[in-house]
Amino acid sequence: MRFLKAWRDSDAFNLVLVVPAVGYLLAFSAFPLIYNVVMSFQQVDMFDVGTLIRPLRGFGNYVDVFARSEAGTVLWNTVLFVVMSIVFQLSIGFALALFFQLDFPGAKWLRGLFLAGWVMPALVVGAIWRWIFAGDFGVLNYALRSLHLIGGPVFWTSDPSIALWSIIIANVWLGIPFNMILLSVGLAGIPDDVYEAAALDGAGMIERFRSITLPLMAPTLGAVISLGVIFTLQQFDLVAALTQGGPAGASNIAQYWSWQMSFETYEISDGAVVATLMMTVVAAVALIYVRAIRHEQRA
Amino acid sequence: MKMLAFKLGLGVIVAVVSIHNASADPVTLQVWAQDEISHYTQVLTRDFEAKNPDIRIDLKLINFADVENDAIRAAATNTAPDVSQIDNPQVATFASHNLLLDLGPFVANSKVIHREDFYPGPLTNATWQDRLYAIPRGANTIALFYNADMFRAAGLNPDAPPKTWDELYTVARKLTDPAAHRYGLAYSAVATEEGTFQFLPFAQTAGGDFDHLDNPGTVRALEFWQKLLDEKIVSNDVLVWGQVDLMASFRAQNVAMAISGPWELPTLDREAKFDWRVAMLPVEKEGSPRASALGEHAYGVFKSSKHPQEAFRLLEYFISQQGRNWNEFGILPSVKTVTTVNPKWPAAYAIFAEEVQYAHARGPSPMWPQISKPIQVAIQTALTHRADAKTALAEAQRHVDQVLKK
Repeated sequence: MRFLKAWRDSDAFNLVLVVPAVGYLLAFSAFPLIYNVVMSFQQVDMFDVGTLIRPLRGFGNYVDVFARSEAGTVLWNTVLFVVMSIVFQLSIGFALALFFQLDFPGAKWLRGLFLAGWVMPALVVGAIWRWIFAGDFGVLNYALRSLHLIGGPVFWTSDPSIALWSIIIANVWLGIPFNMILLSVGLAGIPDDVYEAAALDGAGMIERFRSITLPLMAPTLGAVISLGVIFTLQQFDLVAALTQGGPAGASNIAQYWSWQMSFETYEISDGAVVATLMMTVVAAVALIYVRAIRHEQRA
Repeated sequence: MKMLAFKLGLGVIVAVVSIHNASADPVTLQVWAQDEISHYTQVLTRDFEAKNPDIRIDLKLINFADVENDAIRAAATNTAPDVSQIDNPQVATFASHNLLLDLGPFVANSKVIHREDFYPGPLTNATWQDRLYAIPRGANTIALFYNADMFRAAGLNPDAPPKTWDELYTVARKLTDPAAHRYGLAYSAVATEEGTFQFLPFAQTAGGDFDHLDNPGTVRALEFWQKLLDEKIVSNDVLVWGQVDLMASFRAQNVAMAISGPWELPTLDREAKFDWRVAMLPVEKEGSPRASALGEHAYGVFKSSKHPQEAFRLLEYFISQQGRNWNEFGILPSVKTVTTVNPKWPAAYAIFAEEVQYAHARGPSPMWPQISKPIQVAIQTALTHRADAKTALAEAQRHVDQVLKK
């Protein structure tokens, strides 16, 4: 017994706990990350992915990527995609979270059912939205036409000025449940007596939201936004299912572009450049997320 | 002492393994293939195993788009299979990287496979720098499917399908009926290999090609596609429709004519409740050369294979069964000496069998995907009027030149 306790307090035991965790991270996270960064500085051929020793190109690949005619469009599309997705996911998710906070009969059940959309694989979601968005026999156009909102069909996925927005709409739909659940948890953590005290002081509903809900929710909001950015930058399947980045690259975003270069045209170095740049952004956001979490725990 | 025992033990193991191999134990071949609706590889490897007890097949089925990527990665890490299915324009990619076995010497001694029996298209795609690196299992191509009932309803003669672009335009226009949500024609302009596959025949009949994109013929072909789209004879959604999608619209009678290949016939036969027929792909003008696209797959043997003889026997078996290609798998034969007995859909068979003779191979180039991409971009850029056909194709030609120069 005493031996066990001594063992548990020993440095060796700590080491036993630390080594597998660190080993796992090194093998499955750090190695691929570093491998990708290294590839972005090398001249890589699909046929020598098995080695690490390849001709060095330095920043040449980075220059190449930005010199491509589609680089500007992809960059702007990615910014638009991330910002718009987050703005709508968050505002609609927050509104729903507040709504379900009202605690009407069946509120908990209904809130749970919202998750049904979120647990579906994105590729399935993509296939469903493909039918909804179909120009000639799609459900959405049928509904809009029946309501006399549009005259002719809207080509949601094949009109270059709309295609990106269609992907954003599908992505917002996909992200709302997750945002709502996380924000609901945050809302549930605010004690009722704070609101009651404020009500006694004569604060109206809007005043209570502004001076109690928002400030107390700030850490949660920060965390949800950070996670939203990370998830949105990972969103690949919807693009693949809906537009393949088209028409004419009009709805291409960085993650899909990176995949196209790596696995469609085998320009792996250039694909790795985009992946590396995206990783930098995600790492920065993750840092903010970790800080937000720390605040939350303190609070 | 311990070391000695260890070595002795190892010696015994080695000896046992050698004896094991010397006896008539079956050889196992690793075969990678696409997971296809026709189950071509499953069916034929099973039949092959039944006839060849000395060879076992370990078959791995891979998603349509991933076979080549997986095989390349496997070859790069020395874990390549013995045999892999390869889409025909990609054979050059594998061959130029020295991954495939030169099958020339095997064919020279073969009683089943003779190089001169192959149609030129499939042979071109299986060859790289005059050496044969893969065995094309068959061929497919595209033609014009049309709804004869709609022809009659529109007062058109269903026995005289359009032969030239002008006729195609006129007929498609007549068949278009926005009130009934019906388009006259559908082609695929999707931003994948399928878009290139469908567009090149139009360029080729007009005198252009993948390496002559700024040629006036290629420009006229793209302008013709553009006109059909602009006048709403073709749905805007062809920019995102693959061939399977446009044939779904054809079956649902939302499209009167559609361009696709023989792989559609079983589904069409099962589901279409109307008089459908197949016609040759229209040429630009009377007297213009016929052109079509050459599709289908080949099987290559990896250089790293330890059982090349057995692997080649499997490929010989595939070729020996080509008489089954059409009726069982919807694939045309790739060798001239094969006759299909009692072909299903005989009228469609006759059209496709004739069309495949005009089928152009894509490439061959080890950089095919990098050539195909700018073509897809040019098609979509022109069809969405981000640039005119001439400018878009000139830009594509610039990219292709860069790739071909490398």
